[in-house]
Amino acid sequence: MPTNDMLSYKNLSAKPSATGPLKGKSFLLPPNISVRNWPAQAGSKALEKFVALDDATTVDRLQKAGGHLVGYTRMNELGFGLAADQMAKALTSSLAEAALMIDMMGEARVTACRARLCAFKPTSGIVSRFGLIGLAPSLESVSVLAQNFEEIALIMSVIAGKDERDFSMDEGEIPNFQMSKEVTAVKTAGVIKECLELLDEGEKALFAQGLAKLKMAGFSIEEFSLPNFHLSGPVHQCVGSVEASSSCGKFDGVRYGHRCFQAKNWNEMYLKSRGESFDILLKAYLFQGAYFQFQNYDVFEKAGRIRARLIKDINILLDKCATLALPTLRRRFAEKPAAGSIAEIYEEFCLTLPANLLGMPVVSMPAIASDEKTDLGIQLLGKRLDDIRLLAAARQLSSLPKGENNK
Amino acid sequence: MIYEAVIGLEIHVELNCATKMFCDCPNIAGADANIHTCPICLWFPGAIPRFSEEALEKAELTSLGLNCKLQERSAFDQKVYYYPDLPKGYQLSQAHLPLARNGWLDITGENGESKRLRIRKIHMEEDVARLVHEIEGKAPISLVDFNRAGVPLVEIVTEPDMASPYEAMEFVRKLRTQIRYIGTAECSMEAGTMRVDANISLRPKSTNELNTKVEIKNMNSIKNLGDAIAYEINRQTACLSSGEPIVLHTRLWDAEKRVTVAMRAKFEGPCVPDPAVAHIVIDETWKNELLSRLPEMPGVKADRFGRQYKLSREDALTISAERDLSEYFEAVVKQNVSPRTAFHWLVAQLLPLLKERGQTVADTPVTSVRFSALLLILEKNEINANACREALKLMFESSLPPAEIIDRQGFRQVSDTQLIEITVNEVILTNSSAVSDFHNGADKAFGFLMGRAMQAMKGKGNPKLIKEVLEKKLRG
Repeated sequence: MPTNDMLSYKNLSAKPSATGPLKGKSFLLPPNISVRNWPAQAGSKALEKFVALDDATTVDRLQKAGGHLVGYTRMNELGFGLAADQMAKALTSSLAEAALMIDMMGEARVTACRARLCAFKPTSGIVSRFGLIGLAPSLESVSVLAQNFEEIALIMSVIAGKDERDFSMDEGEIPNFQMSKEVTAVKTAGVIKECLELLDEGEKALFAQGLAKLKMAGFSIEEFSLPNFHLSGPVHQCVGSVEASSSCGKFDGVRYGHRCFQAKNWNEMYLKSRGESFDILLKAYLFQGAYFQFQNYDVFEKAGRIRARLIKDINILLDKCATLALPTLRRRFAEKPAAGSIAEIYEEFCLTLPANLLGMPVVSMPAIASDEKTDLGIQLLGKRLDDIRLLAAARQLSSLPKGENNK
Repeated sequence: MIYEAVIGLEIHVELNCATKMFCDCPNIAGADANIHTCPICLWFPGAIPRFSEEALEKAELTSLGLNCKLQERSAFDQKVYYYPDLPKGYQLSQAHLPLARNGWLDITGENGESKRLRIRKIHMEEDVARLVHEIEGKAPISLVDFNRAGVPLVEIVTEPDMASPYEAMEFVRKLRTQIRYIGTAECSMEAGTMRVDANISLRPKSTNELNTKVEIKNMNSIKNLGDAIAYEINRQTACLSSGEPIVLHTRLWDAEKRVTVAMRAKFEGPCVPDPAVAHIVIDETWKNELLSRLPEMPGVKADRFGRQYKLSREDALTISAERDLSEYFEAVVKQNVSPRTAFHWLVAQLLPLLKERGQTVADTPVTSVRFSALLLILEKNEINANACREALKLMFESSLPPAEIIDRQGFRQVSDTQLIEITVNEVILTNSSAVSDFHNGADKAFGFLMGRAMQAMKGKGNPKLIKEVLEKKLRG
């Protein structure tokens, strides 16, 4: 298998001849997005020797629109954490112009920020999840990483839309991304007081600088309070770990993937295969999920109620201002991903995971809340299905003349 | 102390859908192992369940037919347990928000009284794969057949309203009749398309306590269900009498030894809302549409048959117990055959002939149209009952219209009064001793002379006319 330290699989087949809106554009994918006949092993022993049977709907659409797939980047086991993930490096090394990633807690936005790229996580349910080897269906969306938001809108216009293979998609009308040039960009951004309280002084200063640029671009900025903001992390962790535990139930060595052959009987084969399939970090996350499932279901139910409450509260804010602005990253994670515990990973993504929890569209823009050393990134989070106005705003902001600090 | 039994049932019914519940694989039993599988029912990475509209509709119709209230919103949960027969590590089922609640069925109790048994809820779920444990050489091997994985089921959970094996058996019979009427399932315990688990506990007679229950499984006929419940009641009575506590667990019915055997502690895995299958929302319009699709149910139909066709209660119940039979009957009556004739000839003549030939009213060449044509000829007295029976048998072999079969066989009965008079005169002349017996008051002699006259006309004489003429001649 042709590989290198960044890629777990390199596509050696000729570039497609399909002519379409994405002709000539190259894409990287992590191996948890299925490409037919590619080793879609999602960085896990659980899927050793597994080869995808079919293209994910997003992949199928990319290729039919003329997009070229460069290969699979290396990734953390089943996409939990970014310590071993090579997407940022591969994009910085210009292996491709754009990428798709499954974003469950902000992986695409954080990766893009580290690679000084733009990222967009759409409203959940408007891009098919068929062919995604994810962990937490209700939290994750295919997200796009690219040089600018024109590109992103173009790619979104290709991959978004109803799919008869994914019945779990949003039933309403899906935004028409081809329209994103025509809509009026939103011009208001709210800032959540409780989010600011999380930041240290340096981070506050960088973020304030970013907000100042938004104002320069004609945005009005207003501060709001969202008292339960700090609960989004624990709620995400509870829901995410439970869904991950369920999603990983399929890895038992019976039908595909890793199987332990040193077992006395079927029961032992089953237990050992599952035991050997996952690394310690993911195992710990799955155990957390199993704990809520088997031992403390009440907490999971409460998490569901808090999630619904947060959606309600944030929608009230989004009635007052079209978007909410947050940094993408904490400074200590700006360059290097968390490598240790679940707690550390949750800290790394504490600013990005609310959008996953609430299913809202969100953009992450580089080089706005930044100095020479650090780019915190700025996220604008919009109302469900308000994807197009959000992209229009992001496009306008990224065409800002860059300030002194961004040269 | 005298105890009474408290019995509740959990009944899994396999819906007769063309496909599985979450994929397009055919729902066919008895194929080679793992033939009817796909990336969805084998749950390959990246698969997403595609909920079958047919399964939903059939589950909805079943619920309405069992007098349940469809819930405005229902949803699937993941019933989590780890076992090789579950490709996902969980079973999609409805634990928190079931499809339907609060139904009932009326049964006739042991003393002829009507008793209403309540249904607590009906929910949908997918079936699991089949595990086979074998020995290959000396090594144990375990095989999994995923053909059954994902087959659509409904689970019907009753309230603990039954007090005897008889009531439980009656409930299951009634349930089977209702569901077969709706046409959404076969409901065969023998074939495994209906699986009945019973929960049994005991309490001091005439109290309202609910005590620790024992679940029994693995009964493959209604009779075995009754026997297993009876056995379990005796077993628990013996336990309680000897001061032994009842422990919550599951027992298997051993049909050979006719006993229940402890299997395992009752397992209840967690049920977590499934994020991938959309919620089911049922509005009034759809509910009305479903109701309009529901056939007339057997109880209502029996009442109507009694009124409309003047059938006795018993006959009306007999003919309405099966939907196909009742529809066949009504089709015959619609062709202007009198209901009495239709009922008698259908139940007493046609059904035994069908049974001999392994046919049913639904698939026999003796369609309701042909059967009515025959009975109309009978009712016009053009053939007699004997000829009608013979013609009916021939209709299984020949596709000719009944009238033609009758003509070809020369079955048509003679109603020519002149010819009958000549024949009767001859019989009287040649059987003078019987005639004098008749005049001496021996009634049997009339039958003998009747028989002679029929014989002389080779069975084709109209018996009613012969009887009239013979009576006139003898008495006149």
